[in-house]
Amino acid sequence: MIKITRADFSVDEVIQSLKRKEVGGIVTFIGTVRGESQGQPIERLEIEAYEEMALHDLEDIRSKALEKFGVEDAAIIHRVGPIRVSENIVLIAVAAAHREEAFEACRFILEEVKRLVPIWKKEYTPKGSRWVEEEER
Amino acid sequence: MKVTVRFFASLKEEVGLEREELELGEGPAVADLLEALIEAHPVLRDSGKFLIAVNGIRSKADRRLEEGDIVALLPPVSGG
Repeated sequence: MIKITRADFSVDEVIQSLKRKEVGGIVTFIGTVRGESQGQPIERLEIEAYEEMALHDLEDIRSKALEKFGVEDAAIIHRVGPIRVSENIVLIAVAAAHREEAFEACRFILEEVKRLVPIWKKEYTPKGSRWVEEEER
Repeated sequence: MKVTVRFFASLKEEVGLEREELELGEGPAVADLLEALIEAHPVLRDSGKFLIAVNGIRSKADRRLEEGDIVALLPPVSGG
């Protein structure tokens, strides 16, 4: 499952969709909005995506992960729009027969999403707003 | 020959546009488009590095453009 959505997602539903008899473990990563950045309190994020391209990239990353690590299935859900502190930004869930490849594939997908996919975060603090640059993370 | 340019995130704010139709001569490359864009929006000269995607595919400066192509300017990404 690949999705870019303004609305929040249900982690339970995504996990349920990955379960089947070949699966012995599901690893999830959930990115949430931290209330602080570079010593500044964060009020909210605004996330923008080039959706057509981002969806294509996410599909590609998912396919690579399935092939490279031999996992059963993977889901990547990324939100766009305004997101408040502690709310979900991204969910990556990987289902595999065994834990090792599930953890590795989950990590791989996350790093590729951060490195490649045309999605941008804007942070709003009491002093103003700024786009997050990759080298800060 | 007409192409559509799309701006995202910080570049969208700096240029003040989300998309723009641009008329170019025959057989232009990405580099020719960039030249025309920088002339139209000098702010792009100082806006840091960005990648180019043509119809959703990351492309280099020598890539040839065709009528109706969608060229996106992508500042450094920060998703995840």
